[in-house]
Amino acid sequence: MSADLEFEKLVKLYYRDLYRFGFSLTESEADAADLTQETFYIWANKGHQLKNPGTVKGWLFTTLHREFLKTCRHRKHVADDPIEEGAASLPAVASDCVNRIDSQTLVHFLREIDEDFRAPLVLYYLEDLSYKEIAGVLSVPLGTVQSRIARAKVQLLRRLTETDRPRTQGK
Amino acid sequence: MNTKQAKDILLLYRESVDDGDPQFRQALAHAQGDPELAQWLREQTSCYNAIRSKLREAEPPTDLSERIIRHRPIPFRRDWMQILKIAAAVIISASITAASLQLWQRERHSVAEEREITVKGEVLDMTCYIAYNLSGPEHAKCARDCIRNGLPVGIKSEDGTVYLLSGKLGHSVNAELADYAARIVTIKGKESIRDGFAQLQVEEIRKF
Repeated sequence: MSADLEFEKLVKLYYRDLYRFGFSLTESEADAADLTQETFYIWANKGHQLKNPGTVKGWLFTTLHREFLKTCRHRKHVADDPIEEGAASLPAVASDCVNRIDSQTLVHFLREIDEDFRAPLVLYYLEDLSYKEIAGVLSVPLGTVQSRIARAKVQLLRRLTETDRPRTQGK
Repeated sequence: MNTKQAKDILLLYRESVDDGDPQFRQALAHAQGDPELAQWLREQTSCYNAIRSKLREAEPPTDLSERIIRHRPIPFRRDWMQILKIAAAVIISASITAASLQLWQRERHSVAEEREITVKGEVLDMTCYIAYNLSGPEHAKCARDCIRNGLPVGIKSEDGTVYLLSGKLGHSVNAELADYAARIVTIKGKESIRDGFAQLQVEEIRKF
């Protein structure tokens, strides 16, 4: 297969997933499109260095995430303290509650979560990646990824509950 | 494993994605025997699926894939062997060029082979002639003085070639030529050219 066709095939295969990842991180269609384009641009230049073709998807997501982090100039690093909130503090959120909001609002709630926690949470929801793969994409240890996802998930569900409360109370 | 421990583990469980992950197996087994935990897990899974679906609603611009493909950069893949070959070729070419240039410069600076010639022309005070284009009978006195005082002396042949006149090494011809300043004489001598300048080593001076 020629390099052009290979590139085209790769774009068709992953551009949607990458765009959604970018959109969930940035809450901006234009930024998500730019990040996706930039990711494939980098792939075109450096992709041949990848030894294992099975890791292409992970490589693309890692690249997009790195490009995203470059745009976050004044990042606040939140300490990875052990999670105090376990499943016990997880609010009960019905799927109906999620269905009542639009995707833009959901992405807006994601934006309220710190970048270090947002990226693993987005990958947790969007992509069928194992925790090991998510850890690889974000270059953080497996345990850190899991604790970040757990904390971010609790934050997101709490936020969803808060949004739903006035509506529920009003009924 | 108690229910709380199982719940903490299942907080991260995703149906179908994590089924093969051993860390969840025991907790899933526990949930099978605990109706309340099983119900909680169903709600969690339902909520997970709802959020996942919502996030996957985001659709990229219709022309994004075409744009990416159209603007694909042509990569410059570095083949280091090829680069080394090119570098070697460049170095060899540069060396040959430098050597040729040096050779050419050496030839250029060398003195052309001397030959015996006879030149007929006006005796010039070279300084005034080159600097101010002064020659001829009206400049004769100045030329005579300049030549007598040791300034370079030359001859302009009938074909326009100007020669610097010199004697043998250590011997000036100025005194002999001063009286012929601005006059036509015939000089026999050895012609040579150095760096583009013609010179004539005087052997014999004949008045016209």
